[in-house]
Amino acid sequence: MTMPESYARALLKVVADGQTPKKAVAALRDTLVRSGRERLLPKIARALSRIAARHERKDRVVLTVAREKDATRALKDLAETLSRMGVAAKDVEVDEDEHVVGGWRLEGKERLVDASYKKFLLDMYNRTTNTV
Amino acid sequence: MSNPTVEKIIKEINAYTPEAMSEHVGIVTAVGDGVVAIDGLSKAVMSEVILFDEGKGKSLAKSMEAEGELFGVILNLEEDGVRAAILGDTARVAEGMTVKSTGRVLSVPSGEELLGRVVNALGEPIDGKGPFKKTTLMPVERQASGVIDRKSVSVPVQTGIKAIDAMIPIGRGQRELIIGDRATGKTTIAIDTIISQRFEPPATRPICIYVAIGQKQSKTARIVEQLKGAGALEYTIVVDAPASAPAALQYLAPFSGASIGEYFMDRGKDVIVIYDDLSKQAVAYRQLSLLLRRPPGREAYPGDIFYLHSRLLERAACLSEEKGGGSLTALPIIETQDGDVSGYIPTNVISITDGQIFLVAELFNKGIRPAIDVGISVSRVGSAAQKKAMKVVAGGLKLELAQFRELEAFMQFAQDLDKATADRIASGQRMVEVLKQKNGAPIRVEMQVAILYAAGQKFFADVPVANVTKVEAQLSEFLDGQYSKTLAEIKKTGVLLDELKKELNRAGEEFRLAHPELFSQKS
Repeated sequence: MTMPESYARALLKVVADGQTPKKAVAALRDTLVRSGRERLLPKIARALSRIAARHERKDRVVLTVAREKDATRALKDLAETLSRMGVAAKDVEVDEDEHVVGGWRLEGKERLVDASYKKFLLDMYNRTTNTV
Repeated sequence: MSNPTVEKIIKEINAYTPEAMSEHVGIVTAVGDGVVAIDGLSKAVMSEVILFDEGKGKSLAKSMEAEGELFGVILNLEEDGVRAAILGDTARVAEGMTVKSTGRVLSVPSGEELLGRVVNALGEPIDGKGPFKKTTLMPVERQASGVIDRKSVSVPVQTGIKAIDAMIPIGRGQRELIIGDRATGKTTIAIDTIISQRFEPPATRPICIYVAIGQKQSKTARIVEQLKGAGALEYTIVVDAPASAPAALQYLAPFSGASIGEYFMDRGKDVIVIYDDLSKQAVAYRQLSLLLRRPPGREAYPGDIFYLHSRLLERAACLSEEKGGGSLTALPIIETQDGDVSGYIPTNVISITDGQIFLVAELFNKGIRPAIDVGISVSRVGSAAQKKAMKVVAGGLKLELAQFRELEAFMQFAQDLDKATADRIASGQRMVEVLKQKNGAPIRVEMQVAILYAAGQKFFADVPVANVTKVEAQLSEFLDGQYSKTLAEIKKTGVLLDELKKELNRAGEEFRLAHPELFSQKS
């Protein structure tokens, strides 16, 4: 872990522990100035945005369908899976990708459930041609 | 419809029942030089195999074009994710790609089908002879056999090289290092050892595994051809991780070779594994470790570089009868720089192994081949496995050669030598000639015994030094033709009885009478 990343994590922890972001940033700035490391501030900001993006990506649940109208049926099929994942249907982001051909593909929270026609066709192709 | 492919497809479609399995995944956040950083996969374990999902966002047609599946192996478990090495073409991995956990640790296929084949570090055939049908998966990383499961080394590995079998004997289950500068004949010794196994009866013949690490593909191809030409490929498996392969595969290749060998060892067979060479594996591991951001130590090698080699070489073993009595002999090769054996990696491997065969460029350039420096070459456990007949004829050989080397240096300055010293030098010079051997021409143990016996009896004393090799070859031919029964008896009993000694003496006299012109002059 790099030094800016360590500072960014510490900052997040302090905020999570109850300190206001404004106060926490001010305290961090003072500390950096005192130790002559204020040049790290932009790097810390970038590390913070990376961590935030990572968190966002972790929480994001994306449903990929070939056509928008497939989403409703897919969400209905996925009700049980979503409840197991602790995700409400309204929080699922719907993505349209004609490459999935049909069916659906749900990805998020470190899980992947692929019921797309593309996967089926690809598996079948690999089995028939013994390429795998 | 009669097209079988179409019928197969229809059958597949009819059998389709939609089922969606939930898979554990992560996302590639960074990729470079064969190493990927992955977010997620929080339940992954060390050495777990991961599968890169290349199909995401690609059309079906594009996905079908992919050249097989792309795997990786987890090498670092971190707070927010994992780092893994790509076991294939790095260019196929992109940021944002989904990575699936497979739940299995890295394994390679092994079995009888692999004999005579060339495989990569993942055990996949690369010789164009088609896929394997029936193999057993063996984990690449496996705990070495315990103390209770082992027994002492007692059966020799016949390398077919006189200098080694006589002075630095190797036992089945031993770890003997072959060390020396570049182009001093390290690989030649290893290949001759493989070829020499053809003299063994098929039932007890060791299975040979040659692991090429970071070698030129042309060199490996030449070795395969040589083995094929000598009829040795049928009991040999070649594991190839060429210089062009990713560092991860070069790091894994020796472990794969050991795993393939363990399959046979577990089934009571004897195996010889040659790691050519571990210096290149260490370099590949250093590269991988630096990319994985592990802290560098001496010469930028990671802190566990010793453990890398010790855990590999500890897998060499001679198993007890209860465990099937199989063995795995390890012949690691290390390349030194300018004869420096005190380097970091050479000293590590010297301390791990049970002895070393040290090859010297100076001897090689003088035409003494194999260029073994008998002074610092040693086998710590092999003498227990040496045949009694060989022990008898090779007893004082090492000392005699060591004394000769001392006197040889002195000889260059002294004009008048006393008779004893002159005799010792003459004898040493002839012994050096006797121990010379062409590459790719290993000698059967019984023939070695006969020749060394003859040398010990001063048979070559009145042969000009320059002719010793020629006379030796003629003597071998003579013994093969006229005294094959005596040789067979030496092989059978492994002991040089008085009667056999008498027969060898008689053979020497007969040869001398038949070829007086070879013995007439001195030099």
